Amino acid sequence: MGVPPTGLPFIKQFGFEKLGLARLTLPTHGPERIAAVRCVKGWAGSAFGGPAKFNSASWARHWGSNGGVMTDISQKAAERAAITAAAAADPARRPRPSPGPLAGIRVADFCWMGVGAIATRMLADLGAQVIRIEDRKRLDMPRRLPINKTAGARAYGDEDPDPDPNAGGLFNNFNRNKLGITLNMRNPRGRELCERLIARSSVVTENFAPGVMERWGLVYDRIRALTPEPILARMSGYGHSGPHADFKSYGPVVQAVSGLSHISGLPGREPSGWGLSYMDNMAAFYNAAALLTAIHHRNATGTGTEIDLSAVETGITLLGPVMLDVTVNGRRMRGGNFPPGNRVEHPDAAPHGVYPALGEDRWIALAIMTEDDWKALVAELGHPDWAADPRFATQRLRHANQDTLDPLVAAATAQRDRHELMHRLQSRGVAAAAVQTAQDICDHDPQIAQSGVLFELDHPVIGPARFEGLPIRFSRLHVDNWRSAPLLGEDNAWVAAHVLGLAPDEFEQDVAEGVFG
Amino acid sequence: MTMQPFSGLKVVDLSDLIAGEFLARLFADMGAEVTRVEPPDGARTRHVGPWAGGAPGLENSLTFWTYNAGKRSVVLDLSAEGGGRLAPLLADADMVVMTWQPARLAELGLDPYELSARYPRLVVVSVTPFGLTGPWADYRFSDLTALAAAGPLAQCGYDDRSVPPVNPGGPQAQHTATAFARIGALAALIERQATGLGQVLDVSIHGANAMNTELGVPFWLYNRVPVLRQTCRHAQPVVTQPAMFACADGSYVYYTLILADQHSWKILVQWMDEAGMAAMLTDPAFDDVLHRQAHMGQIQELVECFFLIQDGHTAYLEGQRRGLPIGIVNAPEDLLEDEHLKARGFFVPVDTESEHGTVLFPGESCRFSAWNPAPRRRAPRLGENSPE
Repeated sequence: MGVPPTGLPFIKQFGFEKLGLARLTLPTHGPERIAAVRCVKGWAGSAFGGPAKFNSASWARHWGSNGGVMTDISQKAAERAAITAAAAADPARRPRPSPGPLAGIRVADFCWMGVGAIATRMLADLGAQVIRIEDRKRLDMPRRLPINKTAGARAYGDEDPDPDPNAGGLFNNFNRNKLGITLNMRNPRGRELCERLIARSSVVTENFAPGVMERWGLVYDRIRALTPEPILARMSGYGHSGPHADFKSYGPVVQAVSGLSHISGLPGREPSGWGLSYMDNMAAFYNAAALLTAIHHRNATGTGTEIDLSAVETGITLLGPVMLDVTVNGRRMRGGNFPPGNRVEHPDAAPHGVYPALGEDRWIALAIMTEDDWKALVAELGHPDWAADPRFATQRLRHANQDTLDPLVAAATAQRDRHELMHRLQSRGVAAAAVQTAQDICDHDPQIAQSGVLFELDHPVIGPARFEGLPIRFSRLHVDNWRSAPLLGEDNAWVAAHVLGLAPDEFEQDVAEGVFG
Repeated sequence: MTMQPFSGLKVVDLSDLIAGEFLARLFADMGAEVTRVEPPDGARTRHVGPWAGGAPGLENSLTFWTYNAGKRSVVLDLSAEGGGRLAPLLADADMVVMTWQPARLAELGLDPYELSARYPRLVVVSVTPFGLTGPWADYRFSDLTALAAAGPLAQCGYDDRSVPPVNPGGPQAQHTATAFARIGALAALIERQATGLGQVLDVSIHGANAMNTELGVPFWLYNRVPVLRQTCRHAQPVVTQPAMFACADGSYVYYTLILADQHSWKILVQWMDEAGMAAMLTDPAFDDVLHRQAHMGQIQELVECFFLIQDGHTAYLEGQRRGLPIGIVNAPEDLLEDEHLKARGFFVPVDTESEHGTVLFPGESCRFSAWNPAPRRRAPRLGENSPE
């Protein structure tokens, strides 16, 4: 085919006469589809130079961020609305039968932020129909954060005043395979439709601050009255009982309170803790496991359940053996030589640490656990003098003399390329690893590349992009990454028609009255 | 006593790594019958401290206790007769967990896919350092090197980047893999409810941790920028303000000062003002976020002083009472005194049936209305459940 038509010729070719984009049909697959989607994007970007051309369709009210008067809609909002309308009209982005083990399970998903969205992403990856319920007036933070290809190098808290809610890299990474609707829960009709959605679902998920679901009356007994034997997963920082149930938290606070931060760092210094919201991810994984446990149990017994997951308590279960060192041995973990930094207390092996390599901020991690490891290290680093040194004669002595040994190892690694040294030591059977950056992982790591864990999906706004997949290869079960994350309100019309059972005129009226706003 | 969700589920635990042991224990916590298969000299973790009472010994490893509570123990010398000795155990098992890398599997004459073919109902969970395929599949591994190779370690450490990246405490690379493996295992069990068939799960510790960098990978994938590690707060493309504040009693509180958040700003200034520590921050000029941003350094110093005159735990409770997301940096021993955890009965007694008596274990972080948590049981003694 030649150069695809753009603008009006394109519209005519695809039988699109008026500006009723919702009726636009696109080829379902192949290069024609890709060309067509690009055309719509190009057209949407150029067609709305001013509000004059924007006068016939009701669709902008569905998808326009102001939901109202055309002249108030900024050009940017109009462009976004057009792209959303095109995506909503794209049959390849509408649900299809799922091959996953959770096929047939519909989830009314109130989860937001990373900690909520990652949990329900697992359900979506495994075939559940997860319908995210969003609020246009309180945008999910991952939609706003400046993690996208035009944001450059800045702190994630340094937000744009008018961020494109569909360009957020974190949101798109957390919400693939889900549907998304916007519902106005301040509106009685919005709450009525929400209850109708719950009635047609069998799982409800949320991670609001305590009290939000209660304010809407969506407690377990009410949900059970709407749908038989439901699973309601409630995820919070502190759990829904106890004197601190109302405390506010996010990943780093959970890490601090649960003890994970304290056990991380060099002795005699402030904790170095975690450089990421480890507990947002881990609490999300635990919540996903709790949901799957509940689904397995309901399949076997017919009985639903309410789930109360505490992120702080999850963090405590992840402290590892140090917790029993405290409860069994009465050990105190403040002061002394704790935490051990990159060294290990058990077993008493050394050298064990992170050593400099060639280049700025480049490092290699070594774990020398046996006599064979030590001999191999000595050989690779070319230091037979160490082997002859009585201070390093046994594993226990090397452990006892780490303060002497570590600078020697560091001097010997400092001019070596971290990857080359890693592979040479590995060929000698030593546990060595370059301290890899995200760039290494994403662009150069052959082990990650062969696993396919990072995979590409097209996205109506950010284009083809890579996303973080499940690091599991199943021999039979098929993870179907069928769609990138929903644009804001993209699935309003589909869910209204196919789940809520609204007639087109009912939907139009609800949209006009701001119910989907 | 209600049935546990995995009552009747039989799991065979062949793990040589914590990542697998922990996975099997999480099923034991939920009622599964987990058989820990150990070599004659005991599982590897029996040889690793810390030790109950400080005395090394096969029955005293707190590492083994942590990851094997509630299991049975059977001794089998797999190296002597290969996988054949497993047959009686696997014949009626629902799930088997193993952590051997490809070269070791070949030595043992075991193949997860062959096992799956021989026992079609069996869910075979392989959790290995790098997965069963690929150029690094047989590379050596430790928890530290796993975090290094996969990316999280580069994000952890101090503002002073001449200090190497610092390992977050606990075997977290393996915990991360366990968390993913559990999701996969549950998905396979649910699928089996419909089809009656098991399958093989190939879980890579490396892959799991590479998918657990939170912002590191997205910042590279989308913005194409690297992140810089910073003391006890997010690694980010640019340097941010410290978020951990020293307190009068030597403890620390964690609080992120987000200057653009007007609501939190007002709460903080009010609180500081009541303590007589707000200084010029009550000046209406500071109501403007731009003014605040221009005076970030001064604000940070005042907040440092404000926390430095307070007891950490008191500041934590008072800040939360006022609605701020502030955390106390607890040491593990502090958790035993925490009023919230006490009220929820989080720590549970476990009778060790030994000189150590009854000790506290962390309990369930997740409660289900449909069943009560099963009482926690001690880890097994070596070969305790071997056939006579």
